[in-house]
Amino acid sequence: MVAEGVVKTHVLVIGSGGAGVRAAIEASRYGSCALVSKTIIGKGGCTTMAEGGYNAVLREQDDCEIHYGDTMKGGAYLNDPALVRILVRESPDRIRDLVEWGAVFDLTPECHIAQRPFGGQRFPRTCYAGDRTGHEIMATLVERLGSTDVECHHEVSIIDLMTGAEGVSGAIGLDRDGEIQVFLADQTVMATGGGTRIFDISTNSTSGTGDGYAIGYRAGADLIDMEQVQFHPTGAVYPYDARGRLVTEAVRGEGGVLKNVLGERFMKQYDPERMELSTRDVVSRSIATEILEGRGTAHGGVNLDVSHLPREVIEARLPVMLEQFMRYGVDIRDVPMEVAPTAHHIMGGLRINPECRTTKAGLLACGEVSGGVHGANRLGGNALAETQVFGKRAGEYAGRSPKREVEVNRSQVAATSALLESFEQGSVSPAVMRDSLKSAMWEGAGIFRTADKLKKTLATIERLQSEQPVSRGRRGLNDCCTLRNMLGTARMIVSCALLREESRGAHVRSDIRQDWDPSSSPYGHTWISVSGMGIEQVVRA
Amino acid sequence: MKTLRVKVSRFDPQTDTGPTLVEYEVRVHEGARILHVLHAIHDTIDPTLSFRSSCEAGQCGSCAVVADGKPVLACYEEAREGMVIGPLALPVIRDLVVDLVPALNDIPGLVPKQGCQPPSYEEMEAIKPLRSCISCLACLSVCPAVSVIRFAGPTAMRQEMRLALDPRDSVDRVTQAVESGLFTCTSCQACWKVCPKDIRIPGKAIEKLRALAGLKGLTLPRHREVNELIRTTGRSVAPEGPSFLEQVDEVIEPNGEVKGTVGFFVGCMYTMRLPMTPLDAIAVLKRNGIRVIIPKEQICCGSPLIRTGQPDYVRTLQRRNIDAFAFRGIKTVMTMCAGCGSTLKHDYPETIPFRVMDISEVLLEYGIEKPARLNVRATYHDPCHLLRGQGISSGPRELISEVIDLVEMPPVCCGSGGGVRSGVPEEAHALAEKRQEEIKKTGAEWVISSCPFCEFHIAGHTPLPVKNITSVLAEGYREKDRRPHRENQA
Ligand SMILES: Cc1cc2nc3c(=O)[nH]c(=O)nc-3n(C[C@H](O)[C@H](O)[C@H](O)COP(=O)(O)OP(=O)(O)OC[C@H]3O[C@@H](n4cnc5c(N)ncnc54)[C@H](O)[C@@H]3O)c2cc1C
Ligand code: SF4
Ligand code: SF4
Ligand code: FES
Repeated sequence: MVAEGVVKTHVLVIGSGGAGVRAAIEASRYGSCALVSKTIIGKGGCTTMAEGGYNAVLREQDDCEIHYGDTMKGGAYLNDPALVRILVRESPDRIRDLVEWGAVFDLTPECHIAQRPFGGQRFPRTCYAGDRTGHEIMATLVERLGSTDVECHHEVSIIDLMTGAEGVSGAIGLDRDGEIQVFLADQTVMATGGGTRIFDISTNSTSGTGDGYAIGYRAGADLIDMEQVQFHPTGAVYPYDARGRLVTEAVRGEGGVLKNVLGERFMKQYDPERMELSTRDVVSRSIATEILEGRGTAHGGVNLDVSHLPREVIEARLPVMLEQFMRYGVDIRDVPMEVAPTAHHIMGGLRINPECRTTKAGLLACGEVSGGVHGANRLGGNALAETQVFGKRAGEYAGRSPKREVEVNRSQVAATSALLESFEQGSVSPAVMRDSLKSAMWEGAGIFRTADKLKKTLATIERLQSEQPVSRGRRGLNDCCTLRNMLGTARMIVSCALLREESRGAHVRSDIRQDWDPSSSPYGHTWISVSGMGIEQVVRA
Repeated sequence: MKTLRVKVSRFDPQTDTGPTLVEYEVRVHEGARILHVLHAIHDTIDPTLSFRSSCEAGQCGSCAVVADGKPVLACYEEAREGMVIGPLALPVIRDLVVDLVPALNDIPGLVPKQGCQPPSYEEMEAIKPLRSCISCLACLSVCPAVSVIRFAGPTAMRQEMRLALDPRDSVDRVTQAVESGLFTCTSCQACWKVCPKDIRIPGKAIEKLRALAGLKGLTLPRHREVNELIRTTGRSVAPEGPSFLEQVDEVIEPNGEVKGTVGFFVGCMYTMRLPMTPLDAIAVLKRNGIRVIIPKEQICCGSPLIRTGQPDYVRTLQRRNIDAFAFRGIKTVMTMCAGCGSTLKHDYPETIPFRVMDISEVLLEYGIEKPARLNVRATYHDPCHLLRGQGISSGPRELISEVIDLVEMPPVCCGSGGGVRSGVPEEAHALAEKRQEEIKKTGAEWVISSCPFCEFHIAGHTPLPVKNITSVLAEGYREKDRRPHRENQA
């Protein structure tokens, strides 16, 4: 049942999005490195789907301090300041790496990297390649990866980290045929991306199932701020199967306006100064309120209109949007898009230090699976920057780490085998369980939360966790493992949402009145691990 | 919600000897894409169905499948009742999952130069159209060349061109492309037509790389000879007898009432080597009231030079041809060579003072007299430059079905285009042999086409007669004239 041979490497990177591939490229400079991904490397995850851009301070008139301030304010001051300093300071160098490796960003006629305004930022600092920025970054990274000695394992899903007395010593995975594959590593980098697929309406790729959070938790690492889930204001609302698909913030960055069904530019009620380019939490709540109060469109959205922009601008700067809507018969050059909020990004995640080390020895994390950089609300364009800045750091610090004596944990491998066998004896369809979870999360842990609704959702999660999903043959095992991770991640989100008895950033507790604003909140991070959970109290002088 | 029935190819190489089509009936929402149908099958009927997806929004290139014979992105293409869904024509791992990784690894990457300036605005703008590839490999799966000869394939060529345009890259891309099979492309356009990102690889990458190869002196010797011939004679082939142009008057009046007038652009192959075919065409046009003007100073359209990357002399050819027709005030230029037609339509300046129509379009626009039916089963070979180059598919079928019974075969390149017949004859031969296999399967007695290169090339590889559409119509008319009047009316 265990596939031939154990893969032994100095650095094991799990996940092939922007963060994982960047980490692998860097790690390979210091020794052997294996990259394992649930999908074909480069094709999975959310990085390829990122559209709008990458934040970096590149102009004289801009300043890292301003970028720092925007990010902290946008994050409702829940961000880890040390991580934010690193982000803003290193992001320009990381985009230069990409340019050196061949990335094709849009340029100004003066040959500078073009930048567009994004929400919550005082300077237009979002670099882009049309509206396929993430794809451009991913293509560049995969090309670069091809010139390294990184050992690539496509379509192997990690089920659990392997742990021992010395901490994490690698991982146990499942290949396409449902056979176990063991990886042994001195250092393991978790880069599995986000997980908003646990919500009914989500922008994420099919691998956005929160595997890394749940796997890290089970291995004993600390996670922070898991309640902080960003609902992107503008997701598609129809046809049914395309609901949730992201309509990039670049649409508003390029001048798109939001109107309710009465034709009112309603953002002037909610944030007259920043209007459509307010932060995402604010715009999402505004749209949700308009819809709740009956000013939505027939499909249950509001209108996002670019038809006043020159057609060439739409064609050149928003080609993917144009193409995607055209597929469904909507020409955005003439008619508005209908949009509504969609679960987009998990700001919380594995607690890391500036070297990307988690609280568990031998385990590092970078990209969306880590927490702390974005606080309570992420600014558009900061996630791609995060993948590159912290991807490089994780790869470097993992690579530089000394060799260790690591061994295969036989009893853990046996336990994993037993778990998998139990799935073959299971009784409930994982697809049915998944759909129950998604609805429960959307209903109870969405944009507006209350203790009652959260508890109801938690009860559903617990019920689902007590059921046994079934796999017909070994090839369905992956679905069962993924479901287990989705449930684990959902449970952390809901538990932490109950812990945070305040509204902050993306997390809104409509059942709680508070008399403080984010900068004077008595609370710090929520945290959760196998040994417990809690919320940090801030002692203010 | 609605109910859809589809057939999906199921195949597990570990247990099955070959793929089987299984029918499923699922409930899906309005507007559901193929991917949603596959999810529904997986979630509600058979969780062992294997297929790939990731972004579900046309951005990752994981999900390409073949639907009703055509490669598409499963997340983009709307599902239809009765659809047949199979894997791409690449090695199958299971069901709809094919092995993409070896080919992905073959796509070259940039090798940075030390301390070089980033590209300029203009350079970036030139690179961009080649950069939106999502490596779905639909193009590779339909490329006829890769199936018979060592060729890195269309998207690898796209990438070589993208890198050739990039000042940051340190590799000699042109030489590398030549070594990877640049000259094996038949310019069939299949890759472009299936590309979900509409990347025009033959025109924007392959022909451009061939032109760069020319500057390095890497043009194939046979292609250089053709160039020489065109420069000295105005024609891409040498005559083997009196040419068509020598045999006809400049203006040919129709029998009876004049329904329309066209200028006739004959093309090198028909005029120099196969004059009987345009003579048949003239007979058909005459009978159907179309006046034909044939400027005698017309010369090669330039296609052989463009396809083989020798564009220098093309401007001269274009100007002389445009003048020949414009001077006579001709408003409609008719082609009957698929390659000439596609070239005149796409590679000539947009300002040409006439419209270009294939002969099938002309005949259908004016309508034709019914020919006699012949008791023959025939198959039709779609010329690449007619089907994909000009988007003409139903017209020729409509015309020939007036005369014979049509048996279809899949539209695949015969191997005669892109300078391959002259430059890489073993490949052209292998592709024609594959074509002959398909022809055999149909049980047809004739092969019909609408391109002199296809007709000539296929004729060399099949024992069956190979005929042009107009020759078939002409035979229908001759038969009609032979038969007693009564029989024709029956
Ligand atoms: C539609 C969309 C648009 C976005 N646009 C922007 C934008 O314009 N600007 C911006 O800054 N941010 C944007 N974001 C956010 C940003 O793209 C992500 O936060 C970021 O790309 C995450 O990168 P990552 O490397 O951490 O993870 P991902 O890119 O998601 O990659 C995760 C990888 O882990 C693999 N994986 C997952 N689970 C396992 C497992 N169990 N075993 C093995 N491998 C596993 C996956 O297959 C995948 O390869 C967008 C997000 C979405 C969804
Ligand atoms: S060129 Fe087009 S068809 Fe070919 S791999 Fe790229 S996107 Fe797919
Ligand atoms: S034009 Fe035809 S032969 Fe040439 S690369 Fe494209 S598919 Fe292959
Ligand atoms: S799933 Fe990504 S292109 Fe279809």
